[in-house]
Amino acid sequence: MIGILKSMATTMKHALDGETFTVEYPDVAPEVSPRFRGVHKWSQERCIWCRQCENVCPNNTIQIVMDEQRNGEQYNLHIGQCIYCRLCEEVCPTDAILLTQNFEFTADTKDEFAYDKEQLKNVPWYKDIDPLESREPDRGAWIGEGDGEVDYQ
Amino acid sequence: MQSAPLPETLANLLRLDPNSTVVMIVTSLIGAALIGTLMMTNTALAGPWAKRKITAAFTDRIAVDRIGPYGLFIIVADAVRLLSKELIVPEGVDRPAWDLAPLVIASTALLGFAVIPMGNGIQLADPEVGLAYVFATASMASVGLVMAGYASNNKYSFLGGLRAVAQNLAYEIPLILTGASVVIFAGSLQMSEIVAAQQQSLIGPLPSWYAFVNPFAFVLFMIANLAEVGRNPFDIPEAPTEIVAGYQTEYSSVYFVLIYLGEFIHIFLGGAIIATIFLGGPAGPVLPGIVWFLIKIWGVFLFTQWARSAVPRVRIDQLIEIGWKGMLVLSLANLLLTAVIVGVTVQ
Amino acid sequence: MSLEKPSRDTALDVGVTEDGLDYDALADLLGGHVLDREQHVNAEGFVIRPDEVQEVLSTLKEEAGFDHCSCVTAQEYDDRYESIYHLRKYNDPTQELSIIVPSPKDDPHNESAARVYDTADWHEREAYDLVGIDYDDHPDLRRILLPETWQGHPLSQDYNQDQPQIVSLREHANPLDEDKRSEDDPDTMFVNIGPHHPATHGVLHVETVLDGEQIADIEPDIGYLHRCEEQMCQQGTYRHQIMPYPDRWDYISAGILNEWAYARAAEDLADIEVPEYAQVIRTMSAEMCRIASHELALATFALDVFGDFTAVFQYGIRDREIVQNLLEDLTGQRLMFNYLRLGGVAWDLPEPREEYFEKIRDFLDDLPHKLEEIHDLVTGNEIFQMRCVDTGVLSKDQVKQYGATGPVARGSGVDYDLRRDDPYGYYDELDWNVVTEEGGDNFSRVLVRLREVEESARIIEQCVDLLEQWPEDDREIQANVPRTLRPEPDKEIYRSVEGAKGELGIYIRSDGTDKPARFKIRSPCFSNLQTLPEMSQGEYIPDMIASLGSLDIVLGEVDR
Repeated sequence: MIGILKSMATTMKHALDGETFTVEYPDVAPEVSPRFRGVHKWSQERCIWCRQCENVCPNNTIQIVMDEQRNGEQYNLHIGQCIYCRLCEEVCPTDAILLTQNFEFTADTKDEFAYDKEQLKNVPWYKDIDPLESREPDRGAWIGEGDGEVDYQ
Repeated sequence: MQSAPLPETLANLLRLDPNSTVVMIVTSLIGAALIGTLMMTNTALAGPWAKRKITAAFTDRIAVDRIGPYGLFIIVADAVRLLSKELIVPEGVDRPAWDLAPLVIASTALLGFAVIPMGNGIQLADPEVGLAYVFATASMASVGLVMAGYASNNKYSFLGGLRAVAQNLAYEIPLILTGASVVIFAGSLQMSEIVAAQQQSLIGPLPSWYAFVNPFAFVLFMIANLAEVGRNPFDIPEAPTEIVAGYQTEYSSVYFVLIYLGEFIHIFLGGAIIATIFLGGPAGPVLPGIVWFLIKIWGVFLFTQWARSAVPRVRIDQLIEIGWKGMLVLSLANLLLTAVIVGVTVQ
Repeated sequence: MSLEKPSRDTALDVGVTEDGLDYDALADLLGGHVLDREQHVNAEGFVIRPDEVQEVLSTLKEEAGFDHCSCVTAQEYDDRYESIYHLRKYNDPTQELSIIVPSPKDDPHNESAARVYDTADWHEREAYDLVGIDYDDHPDLRRILLPETWQGHPLSQDYNQDQPQIVSLREHANPLDEDKRSEDDPDTMFVNIGPHHPATHGVLHVETVLDGEQIADIEPDIGYLHRCEEQMCQQGTYRHQIMPYPDRWDYISAGILNEWAYARAAEDLADIEVPEYAQVIRTMSAEMCRIASHELALATFALDVFGDFTAVFQYGIRDREIVQNLLEDLTGQRLMFNYLRLGGVAWDLPEPREEYFEKIRDFLDDLPHKLEEIHDLVTGNEIFQMRCVDTGVLSKDQVKQYGATGPVARGSGVDYDLRRDDPYGYYDELDWNVVTEEGGDNFSRVLVRLREVEESARIIEQCVDLLEQWPEDDREIQANVPRTLRPEPDKEIYRSVEGAKGELGIYIRSDGTDKPARFKIRSPCFSNLQTLPEMSQGEYIPDMIASLGSLDIVLGEVDR
């Protein structure tokens, strides 16, 4: 009986202190940590069409089309299929593809999530956070070449 | 406090002859409609709004607050939403029973309010067997539950229906026995008499409400009442995590609303019984009787929600065991003891 | 002192010496049964004849003390099929032995081990289902993950992916036909609990035969969430592409623990040394995941027992939220972390470091108070005790027979924790305890989880202390790893870590390319779920639901 009363006292304490831990989204935006991985943003100026991101993507989310002279024509990314692993950002030598903190995106059909070049360029920054600054990618460590044979993919 | 039943008051108010049968029938219907509306309003407030707010308070959340002041208009939104949904009739349901069950559940509870004195003369009838009548109507709901469970042609519902019967049998008896101990005190089954008997002072300003006179019976009654209305720790007939809402699994749209409302009216009826026989009915200082009465039944409602937030559900065999081996024995002991004490003091 | 294993007299077991296993002695024990011996990275493998499986395994179990059949891996080579039984011991999991059973290509079958180890039942069914090896003398060789009507075995070499599959729904089959499944007692009722049911924690289908409210017969039916995780890993490169997937096995916040299972196996396979600093970060973040996972396990268990949407669930979620925020700051994601890398971690701690440490410390300071509250609310409640004590009882022997691990095993008094028994990361340098409870019932399992949260908090605290004092010029988070990893061909490894639910093991066979030739996941939930019939036979439905909750399964990991 004591235990039951204790349980009831515990919940009543919570009811009376009036504290809440949920927020009223979207009036109150939840705090997103600077490292958070959201929708991609792509920059045509920076991209050198090396196709490393396309290569590394674990589930073929990125599709790049080039002409015979290896000039880039299309850069498509299906943000509904993406698993937000950030490997594309990690391999990109020029920071042309970044994952912003933007997590708010909706669409009526799946097809609308297949973003092309222009849509990817226009993805807004989230609260003007520059993801690169907050993440400080340690590239020196990341693209080490190991002791074995050098492999440039 | 003693006043004429509501129909007579209404007849007098409308300047009609209280001795004419036709007038009495019409005023009774008006009175019933008034009381019904009052209780339905309470239920509407409790179901879609208060329950959410209370649960949210216990669980550190905010809950409905976007539509209207304090989110109150959610009641309208929910009503429209629920009523406009498609009524799905599953294959193979036992048709008349399946349709009647929600009506039985919702209406039986409303019937009980006919004899409850709510203060300010709001009482539809005051028969001499008032308490017996209330218990009879309150337990009628289990008929509805069994109908729903059996007619749904669903195994979960079937189990829920069986559980409902087993539970109501096990807890109806302690409930009524504990109620009977109050009758011994008051010396009458008539609701107004029971209320009147609680008006004297016990010690100083403390009135002789039976909750103060016999707290043991009060606690017993509260517990048995939780089982009667099927709330934690005794929400076994529903048990969403075990038998997927039990008897109401197959109900949707309007029928669901009826069952849902029926449950809440039951909680309020339970609260009304407790308020009447243990908490002095509509008695209370300063505020008018009806307000006190509402405060008391909402208090009982709050208590059921509180228990729901903190007490686990018992298992069906444990429930039966508690009912037959614990509650029944205790309530019999309580009855005997009360009889002896009353017998001795009266002499 | 705390990390010392309670000693059991294992000296009697054959092959046990001061410095590890003596495989020659084991080979002598088996005598002529051993056709060949292979070297795997984790242990030696004995090749035996396909019709001597039961004999060999029972000899090893009885006389050499191999009481834990942790995994059964099946695979197809160009010239043969092969089943590998990964054996180890509950009281010392570093003593490992692989029993390799080859079977012919044209008619792959070998003797079943299910008569020796109960856990082999499901594992062999899975091998039959995905690879296509027939196990003779198996009690119930049916498909387990795929629908019964599936054509072909997806991990076999000649499987045609484009072949159309017909999966019948049998929606208009008369449900009453199956009603009386138990023939001895015609008064029983057959009920499908799940795959859509509020308390099955996902898409689990439990076929139940009820006698009144009591359970006469019960059989979990899994596979609704099968996502070909093993095959997806076989199609990814070691270096990058596999790591995001472990997050998705046990997807309720145990991500880093899962990633570590893959990282450990692959690092040992490719001989990668992980810098110490990275190990400390790994240990810390993994324990955060454990706390988050246990909090959710407790919350959902309470939900099953309390019913409806009650306070305990919300309080559990609220506490888990704080850990998730910490993990989000560290890894950039709340559930699918993808934080570990082969040879280290992706990022150092977020700057400013002091602020982050402060956050962790605040969380750790609040934790005892919050656990106290949970004890008040849950474990101290008499009705909760009434519901959980002595229900869903699992004995020590059953635990070992079924290969149950993690809090389920420790709740039955089986002192088995890979963090201590097969140390990895930074665990052996830290001061913490392995929690066990003797009860074996639902209540013990809940207590184990709650106390493990305290132990994890201790580990995190020590890690924070270490990280704070770590010299700035020695913060190496990543070893030098080749950009493309190509482990030598035909290296085989089975490595496991202590996941949130138990022993999470990975078997990898390399074939010289940058992708694994066979990637097998030993999921703790898969083995733990097998004990459900043992726990709930003869009990009431509510107890079965509670037992299921206390097993804390994640269907993503069961079905993979």
